[in-house]
Amino acid sequence: MTHAKPVSIVMIEDDEGHARLIEKNIRRAGVNNEIIPFTNGTDALAYLFGADGSGMVSSGRQLLILLDLNLPDMGGVDILEKVKGNVHTKRSPVVVLTTTDDSREIQRCYDLGANVYITKPVNYEGFANAIRQLGLFFSVMQVPETP
Amino acid sequence: MPISQSLFRRTNLLLMAAGLAVLVAIVGATLWLTLATERNFADVVAVREVRSASADLMSLVQDAETGQRGFLLTRDPAYLDPYTNAVARFEARFKRLTVAVADLPDMDPFVDRLEVSLNAKMAELARTVAAAQSGDFAGAVAMVGEGRGKSLMDEARAGFSSILERSEATLVAAIAAQEATAARLRWVTIIGAIIILALAGAAAWTIIGYTGEIMTARRELESLNAGLEERVAERTDAVVKANEEIQRFAYIVTHDLRAPLVNIMGFTSELESTFKPIEAYVDAEGEKADDLKAEAVLALKTDAPEALDFIRSSTRKMDGLINAILKISREGARALKPERLMLEPQLEAAAAAVHHQAAETGGGITIDAQVDKMVTDRFSLDQIVGNLLDNAIKYRAPDRPLQIVARTLAPRSGWVAIEIEDNGRGIAAGDHERIFELFRRSGTQNTPGEGIGLAHVRSLVRNLGGDITVRSEFGVGTTFTVLLPADLRTVKRSNQT
Repeated sequence: MTHAKPVSIVMIEDDEGHARLIEKNIRRAGVNNEIIPFTNGTDALAYLFGADGSGMVSSGRQLLILLDLNLPDMGGVDILEKVKGNVHTKRSPVVVLTTTDDSREIQRCYDLGANVYITKPVNYEGFANAIRQLGLFFSVMQVPETP
Repeated sequence: MPISQSLFRRTNLLLMAAGLAVLVAIVGATLWLTLATERNFADVVAVREVRSASADLMSLVQDAETGQRGFLLTRDPAYLDPYTNAVARFEARFKRLTVAVADLPDMDPFVDRLEVSLNAKMAELARTVAAAQSGDFAGAVAMVGEGRGKSLMDEARAGFSSILERSEATLVAAIAAQEATAARLRWVTIIGAIIILALAGAAAWTIIGYTGEIMTARRELESLNAGLEERVAERTDAVVKANEEIQRFAYIVTHDLRAPLVNIMGFTSELESTFKPIEAYVDAEGEKADDLKAEAVLALKTDAPEALDFIRSSTRKMDGLINAILKISREGARALKPERLMLEPQLEAAAAAVHHQAAETGGGITIDAQVDKMVTDRFSLDQIVGNLLDNAIKYRAPDRPLQIVARTLAPRSGWVAIEIEDNGRGIAAGDHERIFELFRRSGTQNTPGEGIGLAHVRSLVRNLGGDITVRSEFGVGTTFTVLLPADLRTVKRSNQT
């Protein structure tokens, strides 16, 4: 991610342990970008769209969103819908990283504009491996600046 | 009283038989009365014949007397013709009278007496005519002059008139009898007609009544049928819903149990990896060791405790989740004790437990018990109402005094609805189903909670044979409606029996 402005990774993941493991494994892949963790949807929405909910705060940011679908206070799908429905955030790549492997849920996420859908492997080896590869993928991927 | 099919058939057969019997009676009576009429008519005819025969005989005898008188007066044998004719026809005429009289009762003595007088008269006439024919006109006239012929003739006249009187009496009797018969016939016809009409009316009434009952029964059947379809649809919906919930529950449980498991495995392997720098430091010697020390210290002091912390917290979380699942599944297996509950004191007790919390905000709890009593499990009801009131307090709107209304009402017969209405922060429309799911919460996470309460309440309500629904407007307030059968004993529970 060699840009004038550094890309921030917004990580919306309710489980702090998972968040820590994801962070560790992304770092191991050599990604040193800032990671902004959120453990619930409300805080994440406040960060992405600001207090007024307009999304103006995200204007000019370069964001990559890592999204878990199972959040305590709202469905991750709602967040995805809002991100892809807002003019300021819709170009930010969204990586859905979740335990759900339900095909309808996967279809729904892609329909709503998710860029990547990854099912968390159940065993840790697979999990760590998947995150590391995701980190490698991040390191070569272009992220546009939000309008 | 409902008419059974066999009763209906018996009644109608009976009515038909009665109608037939009446008809037969009418026909019989008519025939009998017609016969009586014939008899009366025969009497009338006989009387007429007697009168005619009497008149003829009388005129014959008078003819004979006229002939005798003419002959005696003129001594011309030509005047004797009426006499000769009369004598010649006397036998036949008299015979005709006796035949005619035979049809009338008690006439013989009169006829016998008349016969004697007539024979005597005819004999007297014969004697005078014989005397005159032999030339003794004077002797014959003298014989007439004796008056015997006249008195015989008077006798005969009296005989005729008594026969006529007698036959007149018979005629009057026959006419009276005929009038009576006609009257009887009229009455039999009228009464018979009335009876038949009454029977037909009774039959019609029974048929109309029976048909009405059949129609009512059919309508009932139709409505039952429609109700059945509705109930089947309702049940099918409930089953589909329950099935979806089970799938959702299974999914949530596996996901939520798997998440800490991934943590445990992950941090175990992280912990393992902290051994490497420590091992390297321990194995190294001299200056090299100093270089490795910092890394080993970092691993030992920071990474290892962090990993252990996460392992511990994940284990605790898993334990908590398993306990919550256990609690809910135990709830389904707990034996329910249906008892008669007064709802107002029940709600008051539940409200009293949280009253001070509501009062702190300057608000209060209002109780509006429109339905007073129900039969259900006390423990379950306490838990349901308690949890809903706790939620109302927990998720109040911070900017206004909390107002809670606990209400009971009967939405339809056999059911009781308990509503807990608040003016709290409300629930976003997309989360109305989610809040009932295990480990799921809605809105800002500014209060502690596991996401168990409403899942627990729903399983309790389902266990009582009811359902729980929510109406809410975000930022305005929330109403939970618990719909329960008014009598738990009427609910057939498949897991008992």
